[in-house]
Amino acid sequence: MDSIDREILNIIQSDFPISTEPYAEVGRRVGLSGNEVLIRVKKLLKEGVIRKVGPFFDAAKMGHKSTLCAVDVPVEKITQIADIIALYPEITHNYLREGTPNLWFTVIAPTEERIGEILARISKDGGVGPIYNLPAKKMFKVKVDLKVVGA
Amino acid sequence: MGFNTEDIALIRELQRDIYLDANPFQRVADSLGWSLDRVIDRINELKAVGIIRRFGAALTPANAGFKTNAMIVWDMEGAEGFSFGEIMAVHPRVSHCYIRPSFEGFQFTLYTMTHADSEEELQTIITDLSVKSGLKRYRILRTLKELKKTSPVYFG
Repeated sequence: MDSIDREILNIIQSDFPISTEPYAEVGRRVGLSGNEVLIRVKKLLKEGVIRKVGPFFDAAKMGHKSTLCAVDVPVEKITQIADIIALYPEITHNYLREGTPNLWFTVIAPTEERIGEILARISKDGGVGPIYNLPAKKMFKVKVDLKVVGA
Repeated sequence: MGFNTEDIALIRELQRDIYLDANPFQRVADSLGWSLDRVIDRINELKAVGIIRRFGAALTPANAGFKTNAMIVWDMEGAEGFSFGEIMAVHPRVSHCYIRPSFEGFQFTLYTMTHADSEEELQTIITDLSVKSGLKRYRILRTLKELKKTSPVYFG
């Protein structure tokens, strides 16, 4: 990543132009052609720096329920449980973390009943539990754009 | 404002893999049989009301130079006030900040997700958050492995 890549990332994370030629617009701000910006964005995607480009919806405003869940899983069962979790499109994040419980995942679904059903299935199929369901009581910040600074 | 059936068609199109193209919104317009202006205007309206909370690129923090990613959970020691969350949320390296219920053996209820360049920077962030909030009891849950990260699919 060079300084122009970082500049592009900082622009397109929060301010992707909703216009006829978005990359040409970004290009005007960083001194490149639209095609040169697009080539850099493709490279950053290929390298895994960018995960995706597109819209991020507010789950609650889309009428969905979201929650964070925690479960303690013995080390030898992590892969098995991760494979079960991978089957559910409603589960969008799953992280192995330090401490107890060690597995933390998020669920977004149309209803709380569906979330309950998924958790019950994972618990039963994976033989793990209890799974703690921790919906936010208060949300202060969801800001997934990260200011990228030079190393 | 909510969303109507025409929005659902738009939302479906916007979730497709169309952004590595010089004219992504023209492609959306062509698929829907809408004018380009109508597509752009409606996206901007959905952004304005917060149904689209952000439009753009999402990074994988570990690949973007953030080597030490951790969820820090804080014990509010029975305090009900929301001021702790407000204090922590303004920190630029805190990306997510929530209050969640406590559970068996886990009294930490204020959750902050932090992204740092290094272990040293993580410690600086934690010290900063602790001093500003006055909260002393916390646990660092460093990310050991990302097992899954996808985006939800609406109206799939």
